[in-house]
Amino acid sequence: MTDSTASPTRFDRVALTGALVTLVGAAVLPFVELRANRLVPGSGHSLAAAGPWAFVVWGVIALAFVSAVGPSAKARSAASTAGAYGLVAAIAWALGAAAEGLLADMSPVARVSVGGGAWVMLVGAAILGFAGAEERSRFVVRRAGPVVLLVVAVAGALVSGGLDRISLAREFAVRQEQFVSLILGHLAITGASLAAGAAIGVPLGLLAARNRRVRGVALAVTGVIETIPSLALLGLLVVPLAALGAAVPWLRDLGVRGIGPAPGFIALALYSLLPVVRNTYVGLTSVDAAAIDAGRGMGMSRRQLLFRVELPLAAPLVMEGLRVAAVLLTGIATLTVFAGARTLGILIFEGLGQFAPDLILLGALPTIALAVIADIGMSALARAVTPRGVRVAVQTPAPTFAEEAAA
Amino acid sequence: MKHPTRIRWAVIAVALVGFALLVSAEGMWRDLLGALFPDYRTVVHPRGTLVDFTLEHLALVGVSSALTIAVGVPLGIWVTRRSGREFRPLVSAGVDLGQTFPPVAVLALAMPVLGFGFWPTIVALFLYGLFPVVSGTIAGIESVPPAVTEAAVGMGMSRWQVLARVELPLAARVIMAGVRTSVAINIGTATVGAAIGTGGLGVPIIGGLAVQNMAYVLQGAIPAALLAVLADALLAQAEEGLGVATG
Amino acid sequence: MIRLENVTKRFSEKTAVDGLTLEVPEGEVCVLIGPSGCGKTTTLRMVNRLIEPTSGRILVNGRDVMSMRPEELRRGLGYVIQSIGLFPHLTVAENIGVVPRLLGWEKPRIADRARELLSLVGLEPDSYLRAYPRQLSGGEAQRVGVARALAADPPVLLMDEPFGAVDPLNRERLQAEFGRIQRELHKTVVFVTHDIDEAIRLADRVAIMRDGRLQQYDTPENVLNRPANKFVHDFVGADRALKRLVRIKVTEVMRPAPQAAIDDAPEAMRERAGAGRFVYLTDDEGRLAGWLDTDDIRDDAVADAITTVDRLQATVARDASLRDALSRMLGLGFRSIAVTDDEGRIMGEVTFAAIEAVMSEAEEHRGPTADGEGA
Ligand SMILES: Nc1ncnc2c1ncn2[C@@H]1O[C@H](COP(=O)(O)OP(=O)(O)OP(=O)(O)O)[C@@H](O)[C@H]1O
Ligand SMILES: [Mg+2]
Repeated sequence: MTDSTASPTRFDRVALTGALVTLVGAAVLPFVELRANRLVPGSGHSLAAAGPWAFVVWGVIALAFVSAVGPSAKARSAASTAGAYGLVAAIAWALGAAAEGLLADMSPVARVSVGGGAWVMLVGAAILGFAGAEERSRFVVRRAGPVVLLVVAVAGALVSGGLDRISLAREFAVRQEQFVSLILGHLAITGASLAAGAAIGVPLGLLAARNRRVRGVALAVTGVIETIPSLALLGLLVVPLAALGAAVPWLRDLGVRGIGPAPGFIALALYSLLPVVRNTYVGLTSVDAAAIDAGRGMGMSRRQLLFRVELPLAAPLVMEGLRVAAVLLTGIATLTVFAGARTLGILIFEGLGQFAPDLILLGALPTIALAVIADIGMSALARAVTPRGVRVAVQTPAPTFAEEAAA
Repeated sequence: MKHPTRIRWAVIAVALVGFALLVSAEGMWRDLLGALFPDYRTVVHPRGTLVDFTLEHLALVGVSSALTIAVGVPLGIWVTRRSGREFRPLVSAGVDLGQTFPPVAVLALAMPVLGFGFWPTIVALFLYGLFPVVSGTIAGIESVPPAVTEAAVGMGMSRWQVLARVELPLAARVIMAGVRTSVAINIGTATVGAAIGTGGLGVPIIGGLAVQNMAYVLQGAIPAALLAVLADALLAQAEEGLGVATG
Repeated sequence: MIRLENVTKRFSEKTAVDGLTLEVPEGEVCVLIGPSGCGKTTTLRMVNRLIEPTSGRILVNGRDVMSMRPEELRRGLGYVIQSIGLFPHLTVAENIGVVPRLLGWEKPRIADRARELLSLVGLEPDSYLRAYPRQLSGGEAQRVGVARALAADPPVLLMDEPFGAVDPLNRERLQAEFGRIQRELHKTVVFVTHDIDEAIRLADRVAIMRDGRLQQYDTPENVLNRPANKFVHDFVGADRALKRLVRIKVTEVMRPAPQAAIDDAPEAMRERAGAGRFVYLTDDEGRLAGWLDTDDIRDDAVADAITTVDRLQATVARDASLRDALSRMLGLGFRSIAVTDDEGRIMGEVTFAAIEAVMSEAEEHRGPTADGEGA
């Protein structure tokens, strides 16, 4: 990669933005909140509460600014990456230190939670990390970089015990067992309904590609289902299932009840249909007609044509549909708790009901993490099933925007 | 091509009027739900009328979507201009990442950060709605063939004229598709707002599920589903109309 | 051998092929040609039953195609489609191996076959076997398409505008290669094109179609010399005489040429010319080095009358057509040109006069229908 010294801008505006966001978060918003117990509103405390660690944070922020105006693109990239990791680590330690300090002479039920300023600073660090990763222009780094950054930092802080006194960690410690079972429940209902959706959606997409009438009906119906608000669909399923379960006892024994995992499972499976059906349909119909013609002309039977030509070529799009569905379902699964399923939604809505921010975070953050992991994992899977011959080659790195602008 | 379009607009108008009549026909709901669930003591949610819930819902969605469009479209345009191009990868990556976040989780996170009530919910809906609008705007503008903008520049149009007369008209349909996605998500997420005390059609659903009153559930779920489908049809029609206008 | 007997294909309203009767003898190349939409592709695809005829019979090697299982029939017919249709997810080797795999060949045999065929179509096996279609140029892809059609060594090849998507230069190269392969393999070929030059160059017989009907089915020479009707006459074009030259090899009208070695004595050179004006001068390997124009000799200064030339520019190869020779001569401003053998040695020469004679001879053969239409 050429050094973009020809670039008209001698500084990295993206890194500068990251640094500025961090600065604003540190200077204006409360770094931590101190609450007398887990339910009452707290009082904000600035970064100064972290004692000497505050200076470390300020130091790293200064480094972030320097990284934005470094002499060469390469140097700027390295500096902003280092700045990003440094910031996350410093913030984590400062949080721990602030909690330590503020709780020193408080009652044991008092809590210190992560303040808006710290969240904003983490966003700034992510932008900074992105600015650094961008120069390397590797897709995976760009996409997964910030996530890896966060996971590493949080894991590091947890392992070292620095965050033990932050209220989120304490909430977690109290509910550890429930938390684990809810994550498993969340994964189970999402995975099961995704599997069901795929088992129905892929053949349906296949039929839609073969038959115009099926296509019209399948795409219209799944499209309407998709627009119905999840909560409404859940409600619409609960009522007949309740009636059915009441009327047919053996069905109720099988789990068909108004309240329980059944309506959630069915709703999620229904939601997965649109992306799966549509992508299967598009994938199959976008297979080059010449390839199909050649296959037929060479004497392939319909089965052979399907399994040797059409499905391999459609696989990446089918997987993409499953990815979209997986991300979607991971989120909607939180709502199935209203119909009696046991997912991370329990923590979220219990937290909302009790006005307990930590509990909400304990449910919402892992949900987001699961969705992001599903996204990255399924993308990798989609890449794996893409036949090598049709993979987009990444031979030469795309020019960065600075280079393009200079050209 | 004019005729079927007009007919579809007429159908949508009739459906809208029908929907308005349906949610205001309180007596009908009472009778119908009463007949369906004879064992229940009450069949309509006590907190308000269906009209109240619908208006609350529309207020949440309307305000947040208006803000989303007002901010999202200019942001999308900016990162495709020379002055904002450096931020285009950041914004795209942020928007991609943001779209993988579950809307409910984002809404829930708004509470510890912003507090309870109407405005915090609006902010959450607005922020989340930005993702599809921004990505639609970027995709729309970038779908304009470079040859076309080059020709426009070659004909002596200023940057503003190229944007206003060439890029935006050609991108309108894709931008509208982003808006449509955004509104659909907002309508869905706003039902969950009931759990944060912002009202809306989610109130009878959540309330009904909590106390196992299936009549309440239906009272909220049916209008919510209809509202979503109607709004989507309306926006789909607008999207198609923009497509026709630009060829 | 392929026989079409009174074959008709109707698509709802449109009659794409109308009462077509045609026989392609074994080992011959039949070129189907005609304006766009005249039913060439439809005809071809009826042979391998990608389209089923509305009425009439089609026989391949004496068997009615309708009596065979379509898959089985197709595996025995090599098929090259215009858009090539290589499978993008398979390597070149796997693409070539598709039909052999369908036929249940063993792996090593398929691999050997792929190598062999790549060499046959002029692609270096080691650099292409593992390539994917998107890494190939248009011309390379066409070659792989042909190799794939040949994979199971079918006696019959169906080719639908196989060189349609290639630039003129590469197309000529591919045509030459096809000619060579066909001389080697003697397949029965039905070849669709809309390029009359290609048809004349490659065909043993040309079938000219219009609106689904056969207009003339004959050898290229006869199509050129005796167009059956005004349509064929116009379709072949006003430059029929020129096209005819494509069919004639330079060796057919070549005459011996006076030669001398370039290091011979001037007198010896001059003597070799005899009554003629030119003497070709050769290097010590018998290849053209230049010539002596006896008219240019002033005051016995023979050396001044010698022109040295670029050997490759100023000769044509033995398998060139008269058309090639003519265009080379016109380009260089010569009235004759030397013909060389495979080693580049001079075999003889072709003169302008000889070409003229061929053209006027053919003019006398003009068919009665074409007469009086004032070409
Ligand atoms: N599946 C079909 N349905 C209806 N009409 C068809 C179909 N296939 C071909 N036709 C019509 O039949 C006629 C002959 O088509 P065909 O493809 O055989 O022409 P062609 O000679 O190969 O033309 P080209 O040189 O353009 O490839 C055309 O008018 C075409 O429109
Ligand atoms: Mg054709």
